[in-house]
Amino acid sequence: MKVLAAVKRVVDYNVRVRVRADGSGVDTANTRMAMNPFDETAIEEAVRLREAGTASEVVAVTVGDAGSEEVLRTALAFGADRALRVESDAPLEPLAVSKALAAVADREQPDLVLMGKQAIDDDSNQVGQMLACHLGWAQATFACAVTPADDELHVVREVDGGQRTVAVALPAVVTTELELNEPRYIKLPSIMKAKKQAIERLGLAEIAVDGSPRLELLGVSEPPPREAGEQVDSAAALVDRLKNEAQVI
Amino acid sequence: MGVLVFAEHDGAAVTEATRRAVSAASALGAPVDAVVAGGDEAEDVAASLAGTGVGRAWLCQGAPYADQLPEPLAERLVALVRAEGYEAVVAATSTQARDLLPRVAAGLDVQMLTDVTAIEDTETFVRPNYTGSVLARLRCREAVQVLTVRATNFAPPAADGTSPAVARLEPGTDPGLSRLLEVQRTDSSRPELASARVVVAGGRGVADVGVGELEALADRLGAAIGASRGAVEAGLLPNDAQVGLTAKVVAPDLYIAAGISGSIYHVSGMKDSGVIVAINKDPEAPIFDVADYGLVADLREALPQLLEALEPS
Amino acid sequence: MTTYRAPTRDLRFVIEELIGLERLAGLADLEAVTPELLEAVLAEAGRLADEVWAPLNVTGDQQGCSLTDGAVALPEGFADAYRAFVEGGWNGINAPPEHGGQGLPAVVASATQEMWHGANMALALAPMLSAGATTLLQRHGDASLRERFLGKLVSGEWTGTMDLSEPQAGSDLGQVACRAVPDGDAYRLHGEKIYITWGEHEAAENIIHLVLARTPDAPAGHRGISLFLVPKYLVEADGSLGARNDVHCTALEDKLGIHGSPTCTIAYGDREGAVGYLVGEAHRGLKYMFTMMNEARHKVGLQGVGVAERAYQQAVAFARERIQGRRPGGEAAVPILHHPDVRRMLMTMRAQTEAMRALALLAAAEMDVAEHSPDETARAAAQRRVDLLTPVVKAVATDQAVETASLGIQVHGGMGYVEELGVPQLLRDVRIAPIYEGTNGIQAQDFTLRKVLKDGGETLEGVLAEADGVVEALRADSALAGLGDGLAEALAALRGSTQRLLRDGADDALVPLTAATPYLAQAGLVLGGWLMGRAALVARQQGDAGSGDTAFYTAKLHTARFYMRHVLPRAHGYTPAIRGGSDELEAIDDEHW
Ligand SMILES: Cc1cc2nc3c(=O)[nH]c(=O)nc-3n(C[C@H](O)[C@H](O)[C@H](O)COP(=O)(O)OP(=O)(O)OC[C@H]3O[C@@H](n4cnc5c(N)ncnc54)[C@H](O)[C@@H]3O)c2cc1C
Repeated sequence: MKVLAAVKRVVDYNVRVRVRADGSGVDTANTRMAMNPFDETAIEEAVRLREAGTASEVVAVTVGDAGSEEVLRTALAFGADRALRVESDAPLEPLAVSKALAAVADREQPDLVLMGKQAIDDDSNQVGQMLACHLGWAQATFACAVTPADDELHVVREVDGGQRTVAVALPAVVTTELELNEPRYIKLPSIMKAKKQAIERLGLAEIAVDGSPRLELLGVSEPPPREAGEQVDSAAALVDRLKNEAQVI
Repeated sequence: MGVLVFAEHDGAAVTEATRRAVSAASALGAPVDAVVAGGDEAEDVAASLAGTGVGRAWLCQGAPYADQLPEPLAERLVALVRAEGYEAVVAATSTQARDLLPRVAAGLDVQMLTDVTAIEDTETFVRPNYTGSVLARLRCREAVQVLTVRATNFAPPAADGTSPAVARLEPGTDPGLSRLLEVQRTDSSRPELASARVVVAGGRGVADVGVGELEALADRLGAAIGASRGAVEAGLLPNDAQVGLTAKVVAPDLYIAAGISGSIYHVSGMKDSGVIVAINKDPEAPIFDVADYGLVADLREALPQLLEALEPS
Repeated sequence: MTTYRAPTRDLRFVIEELIGLERLAGLADLEAVTPELLEAVLAEAGRLADEVWAPLNVTGDQQGCSLTDGAVALPEGFADAYRAFVEGGWNGINAPPEHGGQGLPAVVASATQEMWHGANMALALAPMLSAGATTLLQRHGDASLRERFLGKLVSGEWTGTMDLSEPQAGSDLGQVACRAVPDGDAYRLHGEKIYITWGEHEAAENIIHLVLARTPDAPAGHRGISLFLVPKYLVEADGSLGARNDVHCTALEDKLGIHGSPTCTIAYGDREGAVGYLVGEAHRGLKYMFTMMNEARHKVGLQGVGVAERAYQQAVAFARERIQGRRPGGEAAVPILHHPDVRRMLMTMRAQTEAMRALALLAAAEMDVAEHSPDETARAAAQRRVDLLTPVVKAVATDQAVETASLGIQVHGGMGYVEELGVPQLLRDVRIAPIYEGTNGIQAQDFTLRKVLKDGGETLEGVLAEADGVVEALRADSALAGLGDGLAEALAALRGSTQRLLRDGADDALVPLTAATPYLAQAGLVLGGWLMGRAALVARQQGDAGSGDTAFYTAKLHTARFYMRHVLPRAHGYTPAIRGGSDELEAIDDEHW
């Protein structure tokens, strides 16, 4: 089985992003960047599949600018065999990303595409499903357990109110929850080795993907803060307020 | 012409979130229809749309649809949208809608919007990103607008006397890509977290008292149980109880945060609640910044006292 | 509870912006360091330090080590955490690739070492001592010894120890009495060493002791000491482990801190004699020791920085939370972070720590140049700087770390003195750092006599000339001019001290010996000022350039200002003692003590 793992470079989850003063966007210059945590889970799962002998090759792919090769290096350090970047200096919308990935999938012919369920920057949660649609493949989103079974995969999905286990035919797209696994500690020799590995590059034009945005960003703002209320001094006082003042119980 | 709402249901009636999605859909200024996927129960579900203003309810029945599998369902919805010329597809943000609608959007070759929190006009939308710390205003002029909307940000539809006309969809072909093997529901004696009127949520601090006390409080209030990431990581509460932007976003009338410090991640999943109560022994816990009522107290004392104060006298 | 987050941002700042990666460009046999690589390496080391090592710090202190039938039990989790470190490849970070290392510069290795110490000093001592043993073997061991022992020492599968001290031989290693008797190709060792760090444990398959001992024909004193390699388990020709050698731990010390680090009494040759292999030539053991002294001492300095960083992080977290007292004119009680005296303590902690981090990493970069520059003059110049800076890093960083850990307790008030939050541990742990690897008193002598006075102050003056440049640059910026003035005054004071010692020391050997410790302290403050001045310049530039990371650079400017105005002026306080001569102390007869 060949696995394609899609990864994205995002602002580190510890960083509190700031809206630019003119509201035109978010200030990300010089902020700490990292691999999208959901994608770490995906690449970890991919490498585990290879270590278990289920997968024969893991190819990491990202769509982004030159700086985003950093997360491909991380993916290589995790244990991906190869890495490939679809070049796009401007950030792309999920639809365009999914088309770029579909083009990569056409070239690479993987049996499985793994990626995080969403990226923690724009929180769209769309790419995996869109990709599956373009390819006409099965999809299993929000995976918290993945088990190969004959020529299909059994995937436990985290859904509202519980879990659903589905069997998907291969090839398929699986998007991951953090609960799927605990990403490994990366070894120093792997970092050093990854540094020397070649990264393949593909232009958007080469794969005939139109990256122009469909949506128009009118502006960004910080949500209005919720005001702090009153401190009460006892459980009894609290119940009294909830009953008589707020009237919610 | 018109807007199509994907109606999610519990096997008997549409969810409260779907009802609110209908009212969000009506803000797009076109007649609203709905589509119900399922088996035999779909008819009852369609009937539960009475009074919401939905004009027509499509029944999408048959084996693959009854299992709510995304591949055949998305394909069928794309065909329906094309055939009827719908200008928008709307669903309440839920794991099912997040699973399904992007596939529909891709089938229609449009860029969709996830988790819309406000509809300013028929083409201007607000949605959060960066874990809720940023709100983006976006204009969408796609041929078909595809949106999931955060139900708690929209009022339920004002009841009217309408009843949707029911129409059956011809089943599409089943691509046979996936099969449902098993559904595991977490304890359903309590209301569903996403739509509960009251949520009692526990954080790491619950370790001090044990989950039992929290459950007793939830039972007394008829509340759903929520959890912070910390409580889930500590193994105190199940993962699907987790409240937070990339987990579950809730906005009940009353949200009680017990032993939750209030990380931005958690707060962005509950800050739209009607009344927020925070109980924490650390007076500096950021949760107090968003609470309407704060009680600085040890849960070991506060929870039993709350239960006692709630005792009908 | 006590938390630690590896200060990767400041470490990157120092390496990339204060030292500059271009300093490392073109060094032979070293991996090229790009900003991306540096970030990846520090982030991953930091993750292991924060998530795996740091949580064991307090339990290590509480549980300590125990000895049963010659076997040492480590605190819970230590062996696994050590193995995670070894499996991660961190042990060989700057060892040459031909021995299985990663060939990264010492400056990058140093940054990771600070993290290990900050996360868990007791555990970090294992690889620290191993590194000393590894270096000795690599430089002086013959091919067959290297072949048999080096690979596993570099990987960390085996640990190494440094066995110097004996009851009568501490600061004065000339008194070493352990005996080594020739026995075929090898030797048999007899004797006892004390205070041997990580001298016995089960976290690694084998332990390689590097032991100072005397051969039967050896002359007395320094010249008669040889260096031997004594493995816990003999190693067969095929690399497999053989018989247990006659080297045993007979006691563990009960001590103030670093409870998770076994401090062992090691007995050689209770029975047939411990098999040992001569490293290098006979009688040159102490000389070999000195060739790795700089590195070992430098690492102790890093240890100080690491623990000080943790003390600061903990204190600042507490100060944000502890509500006590009001501000003048204020109604409500405030977090103690808002009291001027608490701010003073916290800033003192932070400013000293950042200054010493910068100095320690700079010294490491000089080590890289000294070892790997293709240009012989550059190598020699860098080596002189390494020699000069090493005692400063060792002694000043550790003395300041002790002060910082103590201030950390003070910030916590009573909660700092009780053990609950793990605050006293940091002081107890770091208190050893001014003692081992040559006491700070010995460092001061080394610095004053051998590193400054011996070359007439020339090497030091070379550094100070660079600091003059920083003064000028600071003065050229109206917002920083005051800092330039402060640095200029401190530089003048240090130069004055040096001149005075050069003059008076020539006639009276006791004068510089009396002045050494205050003189070293003064030099440490001034060198710290030089680097904090540079940090201020970089931070200003970045601020102007509209860098996205304004929070970091703003904080850095605050730290630099505080250092210049409140910490650096302490340098002047040492002047009278440096100039005071030795008469008062020498005048005291023994019966007046
Ligand atoms: C926890 C711990 C771990 C250790 N680990 C190791 C180890 O792994 N391997 C190892 O070999 N050793 C180790 N040591 C030993 C350590 O290096 C010595 O304790 C240290 O070198 C000081 O020697 P000493 O204790 O004999 O003190 P002394 O040499 O007796 O010194 C006592 C005091 O006198 C001062 N003094 C001594 N000589 C002079 C002088 N000429 N001029 C001025 N002042 C002087 C010293 O500065 C000090 O203040 C360890 C010690 C401890 C406590």
